[in-house]
Amino acid sequence: MGKKAKNRREFIQSGMRMSLGLVVGGLGALSLKHVTKDEWVWQIDPFECTQCGRCATNCVMSPSAVKCIHAYDLCGYCNLCGGYFKPDANKLSTAAENQLCPTAAIQRRYIEKPYFEYVIDEDLCIGCAKCVKGCTSFGNGSLHLQVMHNICLNCNECSIARVCPSHAIKRVKAADAYIVKGDFSKGGKT
Amino acid sequence: MEQKQIRNIVQIILVLTGVVFLFWWLNNDPTDEFTESLPGLDNQGKGDTIVENIIIGEHFKLFSSEYKKLNETWPRFRGSEFDNISKSPVKLKEKFGAEGPDILWSLDLGEGHSGAAIYKGLVYLLDYDEANRADMLRCFSLTDGVELWRRWYNVSVKRNHGMSRTVPAVTDKYIVTIGPRSHVMCVERENGNFKWGIDVEKDYHSEVPFWYTGQCPLIDNGKAIIATGGDALMIAVDCETGEIAWKTPNPKEWKMSHSSIMPFEFGGRRMYVYSAIGGLCGIAADGPDAGTVLWEAPAWTHSVIAPSPVCMPDGRIFLTAGYGAGSMVVQLSENNGVFSVEVLDEYSPRQGLACEQQTPVYLSGHLFGIMPKDGGALRNQLVCVSPSDTKKIIWSSGKEARFGLGPYFIADNKFFILSDDAVLTIIRPSTKKYIPIEQVKIIEDAHDAWAPLAIADGYLVLRDSKRMVCIDMRL
Repeated sequence: MGKKAKNRREFIQSGMRMSLGLVVGGLGALSLKHVTKDEWVWQIDPFECTQCGRCATNCVMSPSAVKCIHAYDLCGYCNLCGGYFKPDANKLSTAAENQLCPTAAIQRRYIEKPYFEYVIDEDLCIGCAKCVKGCTSFGNGSLHLQVMHNICLNCNECSIARVCPSHAIKRVKAADAYIVKGDFSKGGKT
Repeated sequence: MEQKQIRNIVQIILVLTGVVFLFWWLNNDPTDEFTESLPGLDNQGKGDTIVENIIIGEHFKLFSSEYKKLNETWPRFRGSEFDNISKSPVKLKEKFGAEGPDILWSLDLGEGHSGAAIYKGLVYLLDYDEANRADMLRCFSLTDGVELWRRWYNVSVKRNHGMSRTVPAVTDKYIVTIGPRSHVMCVERENGNFKWGIDVEKDYHSEVPFWYTGQCPLIDNGKAIIATGGDALMIAVDCETGEIAWKTPNPKEWKMSHSSIMPFEFGGRRMYVYSAIGGLCGIAADGPDAGTVLWEAPAWTHSVIAPSPVCMPDGRIFLTAGYGAGSMVVQLSENNGVFSVEVLDEYSPRQGLACEQQTPVYLSGHLFGIMPKDGGALRNQLVCVSPSDTKKIIWSSGKEARFGLGPYFIADNKFFILSDDAVLTIIRPSTKKYIPIEQVKIIEDAHDAWAPLAIADGYLVLRDSKRMVCIDMRL
């Protein structure tokens, strides 16, 4: 028995189905490609950040998904750390009244004369940037803010980015989700 | 069950619940999970037991004695008159053209910020030799950079925002240096022969400031004047013999700062004005009471002070410091030989002229300085103010012309400013407005070009943290 020839109606119907299938399949492939390769996430460019403090108060997460991180290869390991001590602190000791951080999220550890190490306790950090401002003003700028992607909801419209006065919060590719100071290996700025 | 019984049971349950809650409330400490931030949590000071045997001036090496003798000097920190203004008549370039500055020589140094002193064709620098771990006084020929001799002593200095810090004091006969760990050394200028040395930290139970000693020594009338802190506030040492000529007591235990001693003449007395950690003071420089405290101002006290006091002819003294300290203006007065100090103004760095590291320049009755990073919108800008109101900015260099912690001085009526990355900016000094003339990169890939500038006979010597260059600035 010979193959039945398609009439015009059947030809148009099958053509439409094939076109729809191609469109849906293409869209699916495109979205899959986005998710797996080119997903975009929010991140702070530490070289643009002016330490205004809005990251602590404007994030939808509480406490903020923005945390201070420390580029140890940039740090001077100073006794008088502008990121740890209040300006013109009475004494350079770990007493609460001398500390700049409102949540005592920075631990100061003596290494050897004259060096001290400063370690951020991420659970306590609220991203207020007080330490970042102090470190940038008086030190090497090794303390800086980053959006932590294990906390960030990656909102379509970041509520911090909307109020950031220096437009320091940007979309970056998920493959390079952090803009870390002192990252010489990636040709980054220091 | 009757309604009354039910009511009683409910009341008993409520009372019991209330009692349990009250008991819990009274016994529960809502802060018991808090951690107290107490002094000493960093274990500061544990394990410092190494004592070095440092023999100041122990080693010497002569390389050459050939150099071109010249006429002029830049003999110490802030020049011959302590004002950072060259009085040389030599005309200097203000434009470099397409070929750029004429760099005569450049050489590698130990990491640091020590500046050069120049004496009639010779450059003196207290370098830190990282390979030999030594404070090294080096003498170079100004015109070609050839090293003539070096004298050194071994001392362990760890990297802490650089190592070397100071500018030698040079007279016709002597050179006095202070090393990072407060070792004072005096040698004969012409041949580098060792005269004497003092370990200030050890001998005076003093404390080396954060990031090492920044105080530049002073030679005045054949005596080295050093602010020691510890057992003495200030000492005068006879350069020839090394004997202590006088010693100022330090009952208030003021400490050594990075600030340098500024000679000042006011009210018929010569005095040394010094901004210590603890307060400001004026010490008699001569007469039978040399070394005694003429006046003091304990109101000026901050934990880090790098700029030196700017003493003005009418007795006003401008004081400034970084790390959030801001500035203060005091008025020194004299009445029948008795001095008194009045605080005229004190303010934060956002409110007026303030400087973190360099000392402002006083020129044409005005003060010029570069604002610190915490200076608000004016951060890192050069500003001009009147001493009568240092909070009122007459002009600033603008947000497109920011500098850093680098040095600035005046020569041939030109204002030279070196930025952190060794970009040299030349401006026309003016009390009316900022007038830029030229800007040129001097050292490629430069960092922390903070050492004071020096110029003599038209040769400008400057450095970044690791490299020193000499530029022929003559027209």
